[in-house]
Amino acid sequence: MSSIVSVTGLRKTYAGGFQALKGVDLEIAEGEVLALLGPNGAGKTTLISTICGISTITEGAITVGGHDVVRDFRAARNMIGLVPQELHVEGFESVFSTVRFTRGLFGKRRDDALIEQILRDLALWDKRDERIMALSGGMKRRVMIAKALAHEPRILFLDEPTAGVDVELRQSMWEVMRGLKARGVTIILTTHYIEEAEAMADRVGVINKGELLLVEETGTLMRQMGKKTLTVELGAPLEALPPALARDGIVLGPDGASLIYSYDTAARQTGITDLLADIRGAGLQMVDLHTTQSSLEDIFVGLVKGGRR
Amino acid sequence: MNLAAIRAIYIFEMSRTFRTIWQSLVSPVLSTSLYFVVFGTAIGSRIETVEGVSYGAFIVPGLIMLTVLQQSVANAGFGIYFPKFVGTIYELLSAPVTVLEIVIGYVGAAATKALMIGLIILATSTFFVDIRIAHPVWMLAFLVMTSFSFAMLGFILGIWAKTFEQLNLVPMLLITPLVFLGGSFYSISMLPPVWQTITMFNPVVYLISGFRWSFFGLADVPVAASLAAISVFAGLCLLAIWAIFRTGWRLRT
Repeated sequence: MSSIVSVTGLRKTYAGGFQALKGVDLEIAEGEVLALLGPNGAGKTTLISTICGISTITEGAITVGGHDVVRDFRAARNMIGLVPQELHVEGFESVFSTVRFTRGLFGKRRDDALIEQILRDLALWDKRDERIMALSGGMKRRVMIAKALAHEPRILFLDEPTAGVDVELRQSMWEVMRGLKARGVTIILTTHYIEEAEAMADRVGVINKGELLLVEETGTLMRQMGKKTLTVELGAPLEALPPALARDGIVLGPDGASLIYSYDTAARQTGITDLLADIRGAGLQMVDLHTTQSSLEDIFVGLVKGGRR
Repeated sequence: MNLAAIRAIYIFEMSRTFRTIWQSLVSPVLSTSLYFVVFGTAIGSRIETVEGVSYGAFIVPGLIMLTVLQQSVANAGFGIYFPKFVGTIYELLSAPVTVLEIVIGYVGAAATKALMIGLIILATSTFFVDIRIAHPVWMLAFLVMTSFSFAMLGFILGIWAKTFEQLNLVPMLLITPLVFLGGSFYSISMLPPVWQTITMFNPVVYLISGFRWSFFGLADVPVAASLAAISVFAGLCLLAIWAIFRTGWRLRT
């Protein structure tokens, strides 16, 4: 896989002295979906803004498709579509004309058939002649996506595309993203919703306080850092943990009616078989068993609290 | 050159004009008519002629300039301020367009609108006075140059302004007084000598003088000086815009 976006040693200090990015290195492969996770103010939007040309670069370099985003900005920006976080729309314009405007702005010749297709894909075709100010928030968000797609970009930046969007619309946005990915569009999205990253992303990057803490394949990240928990419901509550069961990772549940055992899924031996044998050996009755896997959210919270891995 | 982008911006801006076409046209026509009634009729009945031209006709170039300057500054200022205000400026900043393309689009549209209104005022004035235009080509040339250079000034103001109040302040506090004191309604030669000298520092004097010359063949300052003044002004504006985009001042964070 070759990099379509390459960020090297990127630092960004705002005029007020705030250091938003403290030396970020990031390679984004063509055709992948990369989710950037991070708390508010972590630097996600700043990173996107510097790549897209909205913010200036304090130090470091960015290339898009091999083109430097400052020196060769025209070629670089031609490849990029951007959907910012805030709903910025020209309220008095009609949906169709605003999308056509964006296509023109990116130097593409007029193609109403293509715009029709984009609007149909986003369920906006019925609204094409309406003024944008008359649309709901979710619809406005789709208009912004339509604008970003109007010039057929190869890379799409979605800054919190599903923030404040209802479940149904979120699902339909995911559908749109999957469709774009199938067509080979590289997607970089920032999100607060871990399930969105889990569902959509090939790789996940975690940003905190201007530093990229890690970039990892979503599945690998889950496996590497995922802890599983086995909960054994007991027939009768225990007052204390029997010495025969004592081992790393085991605790007695809140009311003594369960045993909670945490284990590493990546370890060669999880210790489950031994544990179950010992429970039977101790003469305890098992009523039920269930396991839970830590989500990206747990991993994320652990990372942000713990700093760089 | 990203011609499609220039076209897109230009069409976008012009469609904004045509959405409010009646507001755009009625108010200048009405205010011009009022000026004719007040200045032309009331004062004109006492002055009658200035350097051989009837007073009513004499003020026409000044009236046109007054509106063209106000309109080109206001249109271009609003044109770039509004995207900043509603946030859609992100699109312009992340688009593959150069400063020149952005300026041609926005300034071109603002100047076009100002030009249209200028010509409509000229047409309106023929209902009140007899107008003869000695140098029609020069007349148009002055009008076009003025519209474009002051639209550039408006564009700079739009980028500078952080609030709507600021956007309106400069045209009101700067442009209108300069035009009124720039000989729109009188000849510089009618002023006392001290004021004649002071007036020469008002750049609008050169515009109105040159424009009036294209109508009646008489001017307060040499036509070449008018042309030079407007060229220098346009050049300075262009330089300022180039510097703004180069540094990202008030546009890029």
